[in-house]
Amino acid sequence: MSVMPRRITKAAVFWQAGFILLLVFALVLAVRNIDANLARAGISVSFDFLSSHAGFDINESLIPVSSESSYGEVLFAGAINTVVLSLICILGATFIGVVMGVLRTSNHYLGVRVALVYIEVMRNLPKLLILLALFLAAINTLPPVRQSWALHDMVFLSNRALYFPALEAGSGMRLLIVFACLWPVSLFVLGRVARRIQDTSGAVYPVFWPVTGFFAAVVAASVLFGWVDYPISYPVLQGFDFQGGHRISIQFLVLAAALSIYHGGQVAELVRGAIEAVPKGQFEASRATGLSFLQMMRLVVLPQAVRIVVPPMGNQYLNITKNTSIALAVGYSDLVSVMTTSINQTFRPIELMTLSMGVYLAICLAVSFAVNAYNARVSLRGG
Amino acid sequence: MSVISRDVPVMKEGALQAPRVGLVQQVRGNLFGSKRDALLTVVLGAVIVAAVYFAVDWLLLSAAAPWAPAESCAAVAGACWPFVVEKYRLILFGTYPYVEQWRSFLASVLLIVAVAVSMLPSFHNGRLVWLWSVVGASFYVLMRGGYFGLDYVQPERWNGLPVLLMLAIFGLVFAFPVGVLLSLARYQSQLPSIRAFAVLYIELVRGVPMIMVLFLGLFVLPLMMPEGITLSPLLTTMIALVFFHSAYFAEAVRGGLQSVPRGQHEAADSQGLGYVQKTRLIILPQALQRSMPEIMNTVLGAYKDTSLVVIIGIHDIMATAKMAFSDPSWQHYGLEAYLLVGIWYLATCWCLSSYSRWLEARTS
Repeated sequence: MSVMPRRITKAAVFWQAGFILLLVFALVLAVRNIDANLARAGISVSFDFLSSHAGFDINESLIPVSSESSYGEVLFAGAINTVVLSLICILGATFIGVVMGVLRTSNHYLGVRVALVYIEVMRNLPKLLILLALFLAAINTLPPVRQSWALHDMVFLSNRALYFPALEAGSGMRLLIVFACLWPVSLFVLGRVARRIQDTSGAVYPVFWPVTGFFAAVVAASVLFGWVDYPISYPVLQGFDFQGGHRISIQFLVLAAALSIYHGGQVAELVRGAIEAVPKGQFEASRATGLSFLQMMRLVVLPQAVRIVVPPMGNQYLNITKNTSIALAVGYSDLVSVMTTSINQTFRPIELMTLSMGVYLAICLAVSFAVNAYNARVSLRGG
Repeated sequence: MSVISRDVPVMKEGALQAPRVGLVQQVRGNLFGSKRDALLTVVLGAVIVAAVYFAVDWLLLSAAAPWAPAESCAAVAGACWPFVVEKYRLILFGTYPYVEQWRSFLASVLLIVAVAVSMLPSFHNGRLVWLWSVVGASFYVLMRGGYFGLDYVQPERWNGLPVLLMLAIFGLVFAFPVGVLLSLARYQSQLPSIRAFAVLYIELVRGVPMIMVLFLGLFVLPLMMPEGITLSPLLTTMIALVFFHSAYFAEAVRGGLQSVPRGQHEAADSQGLGYVQKTRLIILPQALQRSMPEIMNTVLGAYKDTSLVVIIGIHDIMATAKMAFSDPSWQHYGLEAYLLVGIWYLATCWCLSSYSRWLEARTS
């Protein structure tokens, strides 16, 4: 990094001292002005308000929140909403992006052109426009709650939300939670074992399907023979809204769709770049050994492309996480939207913005940590 | 070479030809070569046909013609073009006084022409500073008025296209030099405290969403001002945009700075150039050229993201589009308004990305 060996010169001392003085001066001035302005409004910086009664409800959250909750609780619910929305959008954008990126590099005449048009349109439109246009289209075309589109009287879609049956807490729920934890663990452990066997004897044992099938069979049997009970609540129309079941607001659905297709275009470009960076000989060699297109992609090309794509993909995931903040434009209660409502009610911008920026920085650090860890795993190791 | 070629019979031109493949064979081979290809062809073909059918039907076949009376919109299922004819001035210029809208128009054209001129490589020098000083001043005078017999228009009524162009272009024009300075501050090692500040600033800004920075400008920046000074929302937004984009420019230029060979630094040092001369004459020109694709990407992204100012209540064309269909008698025609905005963005972004491709092809 350093171009010249560092030596302390008079000029360096002078410039740095001047810079630090200027910075301190600006900071002191800003803080004094903030203090004076807040004093005129009769408040001072303090985080005590977090435990006081917020008085507004948020439209959906994974933790129980009501109009009785405190500011701290609604902000936490908003942060969880941001994380959930980010995860869904990351999954959606990755799926769309990989499909479109592979299409773009295929030699299928229609596929290449469809992917090209998709990527170019997404590259040249602002995400907010996509979001607002989709939201408007959804509100205009979907029916009001009382005339919801119904699927077997179990799943309902209206211009307010998607309603579907939900599993209530019970022995069945506990079984599913235990299995959901056991499934990846056993995949990991058995995968290790299978790999060791393959390394020593060369025998190949399948892991994924047997393990998944075993768990699926136990769950299916438990449903069939009633070993555990699965209490399910169905959405039922009562008055002006549905009761029971689970609901996902139309805002969440539109946000997830808009951000997934917007970032899908950018992910597709990354995937295309990575696939094109894989040497041509790898493609020819795998076709020569008789692999099909999908086998070639899955076993030869994509594993190599992943190494190239991980660092920019990490950046992309960070962008998705930050871009979920446009949720405010359609009124979904993410962190920023809860923050602005709180600022308007309490006029505590300093405290609330510091907190929210801290949350975003923490999320970004966590994502980049995860990406770096994954990168270290997939990158080539010497020796 | 010549010794060998004398012994080897020379192949006559046209003796070896690629087998001719007819169009039908080509189509069959590419689109229906395998079961997978055929399936893909059928699925994509159906999607394309459906999309084209719906688009043509909505845009043309069952739409109300632009010259039709407004009432005819209620009877058709497709797009309502009389709405666009009626509201295009509102979408472009918002609530700027109707009779004065030629000023908004002229100001927008001025900015677009200035951008076009700045794109010419022969203008990539000190003349840009003069150009943009003049353009900025004339834009301000045209929009605000109060001089030369122009009526005063308060900044709250500046709407639509000129606001979008102003925030996007001036935001970027000011952010770029700041970004380059930040990047230089990050790249040097003589002044560690300034370097630490640059790293902290860049990473902090890049770690939070743009809306967060816009809200900082809206809520916190006015609090930092001494008593009696109030900032207009347009100004605070502009400042927030400059703060935000400069961090991204700094990141874009960093790659270029890092790729300038060490020999260039050493050669400049051995010529006795000082830091400023070395940076201005040797290092920066090479670094900027190398990071041009990244810079243009940043510009494109920043331009598109300027639309987010709608969320903090600035009226760019997305907001005026919403205004146009908030009118109760036109409330069902929001998609037409957004389509117009979309076409504007598609056209301008396409120009920007073609320019960036042309620039890349020209320098490589």
